[in-house]
Amino acid sequence: MGAPISNRIRELRFHHNEMSQAELGQRIGVTRQTIAAIESEKYSPSLEAAFRIAHVFGVQLDDVFQWNPFVSMR
Amino acid sequence: MPYREKTAWLSLAAIAVTFTPYFAIVAISPRTALPDVRQLSLFAAVVISQAVILGAGHTYLALHRPQEARTPPDERDRAISTRSITAAYYVLIVGMIIVGCVMPFSSSGWKIINAAVLMIVLAELVRYGAAVLSYRQQA
Repeated sequence: MGAPISNRIRELRFHHNEMSQAELGQRIGVTRQTIAAIESEKYSPSLEAAFRIAHVFGVQLDDVFQWNPFVSMR
Repeated sequence: MPYREKTAWLSLAAIAVTFTPYFAIVAISPRTALPDVRQLSLFAAVVISQAVILGAGHTYLALHRPQEARTPPDERDRAISTRSITAAYYVLIVGMIIVGCVMPFSSSGWKIINAAVLMIVLAELVRYGAAVLSYRQQA
């Protein structure tokens, strides 16, 4: 069973000159490990961090994060 | 491994190295009378040892990874910290109820003091153990 919130961060990083997790983390104020945890859907970021990530990539929030209502939260 | 996880492992190691022998000695040769200079000296030695281990460990980590040491905890670090402290709080509060409200009817002296220390150590183990577990689950 997947996470209720999925994301396209890895893909968006790739399309932004293969931006590293460390660089993205630095730009939104979190560690590289936190970006890795968000990407692998093991940690759901705060709303502010989610907006910051979308802002870095210049896209809307729902272009980065998708909520699946049929997957229950743990 | 995140810097905060390393410090949590360090705290767990410091507790294991210092308080395991302390409680082993206390269990082998229990003392109940107050005051007891030998018991007090043992406790002081354990506390000082733990402070030295933590001081040396944090200094090593800060010198080894200065950038990570200077970085303040991010939102995930804070969330993990809040969750682990909440879990430890329940252990501590139950322990203090047992030590403060139940044990005085049947025990006295160092037995109560050591039981209180044990509950604090257990709460710390839960705190740092839960933090390490959370970091491992999200790694």
